[in-house]
Amino acid sequence: MDLFHNLGVGFGVALTVGNLLYCFIGVLLGTLVGVLPGIGPVTTVAMLLPFSFTLPPESALIMLAGIYYGAQYGGSTTAILVNIPGEASSVVTTIDGHKMARAGRAGPALGIAALGSFFAGCVATVLITMAAPPLAMIALQFGPAEYFSLMVCGLVAAVVLARGSVVKAIGMVILGLLFGLVGTDVNSGVRRFDFGFTGLADGIEFVALSMALYGLSEIAVNLEKNGEDEAGEVAHIGNVWPSWADIRYCFPSILRGTGLGSILGVLPGGGALIAAFAAYTLEKKIAKPPRRFGDGDIRGVAAPESANNAGAQTSFIPMLTLGIPSNPTMAMMIGAMMIHGISPGPRVMTERPTLFWGLIVSMWIGNLMLVVLNLPLVGMWVKLLRIPYRMLFPAIVIFCCIGAYTVNSSVFDIYVMAFFAIFGYLCIKLDCEPAPLILGFVLGPMLEENFRRAMLISRGSAMVFLQEPISLAFLIAAAALLIVVAMPAIRAKREVALQEE
Amino acid sequence: MQNLLRSKDFWSGIMFLAFALTGIVVAHGYAMGTSNKMGPGYFPVALSLILGALGLVLVVRAFFIEGEALSRFRLLPLILMTIGVVVFGFTIEQYGLVVATVLTIVIACLAGRESGWIEVALIAFGLAAFSVIVFHTLLMLPLQVWPDF
Repeated sequence: MDLFHNLGVGFGVALTVGNLLYCFIGVLLGTLVGVLPGIGPVTTVAMLLPFSFTLPPESALIMLAGIYYGAQYGGSTTAILVNIPGEASSVVTTIDGHKMARAGRAGPALGIAALGSFFAGCVATVLITMAAPPLAMIALQFGPAEYFSLMVCGLVAAVVLARGSVVKAIGMVILGLLFGLVGTDVNSGVRRFDFGFTGLADGIEFVALSMALYGLSEIAVNLEKNGEDEAGEVAHIGNVWPSWADIRYCFPSILRGTGLGSILGVLPGGGALIAAFAAYTLEKKIAKPPRRFGDGDIRGVAAPESANNAGAQTSFIPMLTLGIPSNPTMAMMIGAMMIHGISPGPRVMTERPTLFWGLIVSMWIGNLMLVVLNLPLVGMWVKLLRIPYRMLFPAIVIFCCIGAYTVNSSVFDIYVMAFFAIFGYLCIKLDCEPAPLILGFVLGPMLEENFRRAMLISRGSAMVFLQEPISLAFLIAAAALLIVVAMPAIRAKREVALQEE
Repeated sequence: MQNLLRSKDFWSGIMFLAFALTGIVVAHGYAMGTSNKMGPGYFPVALSLILGALGLVLVVRAFFIEGEALSRFRLLPLILMTIGVVVFGFTIEQYGLVVATVLTIVIACLAGRESGWIEVALIAFGLAAFSVIVFHTLLMLPLQVWPDF
């Protein structure tokens, strides 16, 4: 069996002492930033990108991935105990989770969140193992026209799921694509948009840009708000192991959450956030008896927490098989691969099997570590909630500076970061989401390259994108998505849905 | 008019237009090529045109639909933090990690305004020590630690 052979390769990589350690560091950091409000997995992955270069690519990706799914576990702790979502994807968990905590049932809420996440993590890992090889096989057949249309479709989906105005989100995608074109053009050798700076010859440094947008500009916005949102009363925890009755009662919800989360994670633009919200909405509609949602129903914790973990993990599928990021964290994983000289796409699986399977197996191991980290040690995490933001943000600033500098030992990248920090602040003030921009930035060069190649093959006829059936299908899907968001009824729903984030 | 100048949509449109205009002006200098064999200017100009159109839509729409108004700007934290980052860039190569870290943190803490001087000193020296141990000693990144005279 190929599958077992592949998994064997994966275990061989993931179970080395070094990689176990990096996996542990990843999930530990992930839990930490998940628990702390005000710093999230995207910021953390951005901050650690430059420091992961010193590691072999396998270890680097294993650690960065651990941060992302680890944060989904940590986020629920804060949501349940203090009624503040530690992560955006835990927002809906606060609704029933904190009610449970106030009724003295914080323990079972935390327990079911961790166990549900673990179950979802295991299922999602199996799903990746099964879905990735055939997807990569299909993607290998894609020519430049198909690739171009696939990327367009992915970017449109990212737009649809961004908050706020669709026009602004498309604008941010285009702006990201343009930023991605800065630097030497591979075909002609012309240096584009370098404004006379030699430091821009290799383009805008991805690390500097992402740390500016997800680290520094968020700090500026947070500092602007007067006074700190003090963490309120921390609820008493008690026994964290849920009873059998609780588990039996929740099991259907965990299953539904896992299923829905897995599907939403794969879709471009998806991931943990949308998965959690959709799962909660679904539970409210179909769970029987529906009586207690919003009033401390344990299923209202189980479903979204399973869903966000499933979604976090299955969002690796398009990233690993197609090289298409579905959310900013995945964009950073792609950035990490590129910095290690690996070009993302369907070839990664065949050319770097140790990286591919090692990463997947490490997710399962990481999930196991997370249950241990989160259930018995939850008390320790709670203490961290007392770290005030005024002591946290100087650390973020300094890590961003050191990170931006050490990628290329270039002072210029620090100034690039400073520039984009101001730009990012303006964007946040104008309600222009940075997520579409980062996705566009990563895809910019690939999009141009495939566009050029497709047009070259078709001798300059743009009809090629409509004549190739697969390409046409992607474009129709993209157009359909755009039309759907533009419809007033759906628009109203989307606004309500994304408002609650 | 008052509302227009406070509209988020309006200023987003202006920002897009500004970037689009820069894109077109700069990329105009690159060879355009033909749709068959595209030059380095083709794709950026095409993107800039789309961006400009989107910016125009936002600006025009802001005249008719009253969107959300800008919240108040408090620029001091942003400016101080950015100065801190730039100071790090100025000092890291000549004066080393310790000096750069302490200076940057002191400036960044001014942006926070909530820490007392003793706390600032503790954070600054604590983080400087942490950075040296983790980034220089453990990760062996190419960083100068002490000033270079």
